[in-house]
Amino acid sequence: MKVSYRQAEESELVRASIEGDKLAFGEIVERYSKMVARTVKGMLGDSVFAEDIGQEVFIKLYYSLADFRGEAKLSTYIQKIAINLTLNEIKRRKRFFSTFSQKGNNEMYEYEVPDYESEEKRDASELVNKALMRLDPKFRIIVAMRMLQGYSTKETAEILDLPLGTVLSRLSRAQEQLKVILKKL
Amino acid sequence: MKPSELKRLIIGSLDENADPQLAARKLEEEGVSFDFSKGFIDKVIDRVASGADTVSREIEFSRSMRIVFNRIALTGVAAIVLLLISIFMGEGSFSLNSFLGLGDTYDEGIICLLTGN
Repeated sequence: MKVSYRQAEESELVRASIEGDKLAFGEIVERYSKMVARTVKGMLGDSVFAEDIGQEVFIKLYYSLADFRGEAKLSTYIQKIAINLTLNEIKRRKRFFSTFSQKGNNEMYEYEVPDYESEEKRDASELVNKALMRLDPKFRIIVAMRMLQGYSTKETAEILDLPLGTVLSRLSRAQEQLKVILKKL
Repeated sequence: MKPSELKRLIIGSLDENADPQLAARKLEEEGVSFDFSKGFIDKVIDRVASGADTVSREIEFSRSMRIVFNRIALTGVAAIVLLLISIFMGEGSFSLNSFLGLGDTYDEGIICLLTGN
């Protein structure tokens, strides 16, 4: 008999997933896929690579659920996995491009602009994507957390394990950098 | 929304005193939303299911290796104990010479043995 987990509590989903219930884990993926997409695609651009990293995030989550003690929110736990995997991918690409390609930092990301209801929405998404990709990765993560996820400065500091002062100063520097970038776009 | 307004919204969302949730919502309304392609959940579940098989095979393999290792280790320990007993019984001590099988030999004897004279 199939059980629906639509209304299930997070702790119940975690417990059932640890026991190997794929349906419960599917519900976790459904609940948090958009959040992960915002982080991963905000950092890597809207590309197939971002989709792969997104999958990796949930696979890593599946195998580490037994270690999840429930002290933090599940969303924070997933967010940390997403950030770590995305930063690793950025480092990997940086190494690859500096070794094998003459491409610059900003060109190592690919765009696959999805279908949008209107030209205007498409342009808006493209503008944000391009601006984010031109930002320094250490600023990009802060901007993605705040602008795309809507996290407060305090929440961003907690998720990234950074002091509040560092987040504030990076946010201000990111804002300055974005002003320059957006002028050119 | 005009591009210039959108740019202002982006910059403004990073203000220290701005409401980040409001800015994120406004941007989403303007089309700045990210999501994975259709079938993403199914792909994850498929990979988890196939990965689970691999993991269980890996666990099975490491378990068998542990059993084999334990057996080899036990046999090895038994062999070492027997060797020690036989050395002690043969040489009467656990000195380095006894271990090297040189317990009853003299230096001259070794020279003779090596030179053949």
